[in-house]
Amino acid sequence: MKDNMDERLDRLFAAARNERAAVSQADDFFETRLLARIKEQRELAGPWYAAAWRLLPAFAAVAAMVMVCTLTFNPSRSSDMFAAITGGQDEIVGMSYLTGE
Amino acid sequence: MASGADNEPSDEGLVRAACAGNDNAFSQLVVRHKRRVFGLAARFSRNSHELDDICQDVFVRVYEKLSSFRNDAPFEHWLIRIAVRVCHDALRSRKHEKNHLQLDEHGPELRDRGEEARSEARQAREVLAFALERLKPDERLVITLLELEQFTVREIAAVTGWSEANVKVRGYRARQSLKRVLEKYDERQHG
Repeated sequence: MKDNMDERLDRLFAAARNERAAVSQADDFFETRLLARIKEQRELAGPWYAAAWRLLPAFAAVAAMVMVCTLTFNPSRSSDMFAAITGGQDEIVGMSYLTGE
Repeated sequence: MASGADNEPSDEGLVRAACAGNDNAFSQLVVRHKRRVFGLAARFSRNSHELDDICQDVFVRVYEKLSSFRNDAPFEHWLIRIAVRVCHDALRSRKHEKNHLQLDEHGPELRDRGEEARSEARQAREVLAFALERLKPDERLVITLLELEQFTVREIAAVTGWSEANVKVRGYRARQSLKRVLEKYDERQHG
């Protein structure tokens, strides 16, 4: 029974191998339809890139504004070098007095 | 495989041109290889519309991945690997509707013996298609590539990414499943 079924399967496979499926309908103007689909996909993908490039000046303007704001509102650094060096000295002297060092 | 005549550009040359934006080169690649893809996809599609969809999906995926093609293997091997994956995806997407298939539904009618004699090959194909529809996607893919497309186990392993042992196991299981389906089909025919 098993052997019969194996033989039958092999016959079915052989018959199916020999009969080629009709593909003429799918073949007609296949390249035309395919390229039309690819072009359509490309056009759909197009606006995303175009938008990104169009937004480039806006990104540049935002970056320039951030830079200006940073320079304008940054706390001004002391130009007095002695004050800058001795800025933390009082705290150190106080700590030494309290700890007895 | 690559180019038929000496003056025709090779597949690799066409791929390079297509990557550079030459649609005509891509079209030439499609014309050159579409028959092979049609033949393979026809094994998995149920009608001409589905066949067209699968073939278009194959070549769209090829177009999208063209820049990743390396010349370490022939273009056709790379194309067939993509085609097999698209066919496998199509089978898996049909899995849900296949789960509702009963054995007594859509069975090919074999009782007309005169018609059977006239188109034995066609009916064999229909019986086999009926049985194949009832296999799991993995099993159907393996048995189709093994028995109908006559790929070797190694080739199937290469195009699917499965190990050779895995391909053999799936092929054996697919054959057992096919036998069970045919036995039940016979019981229904004679019962």
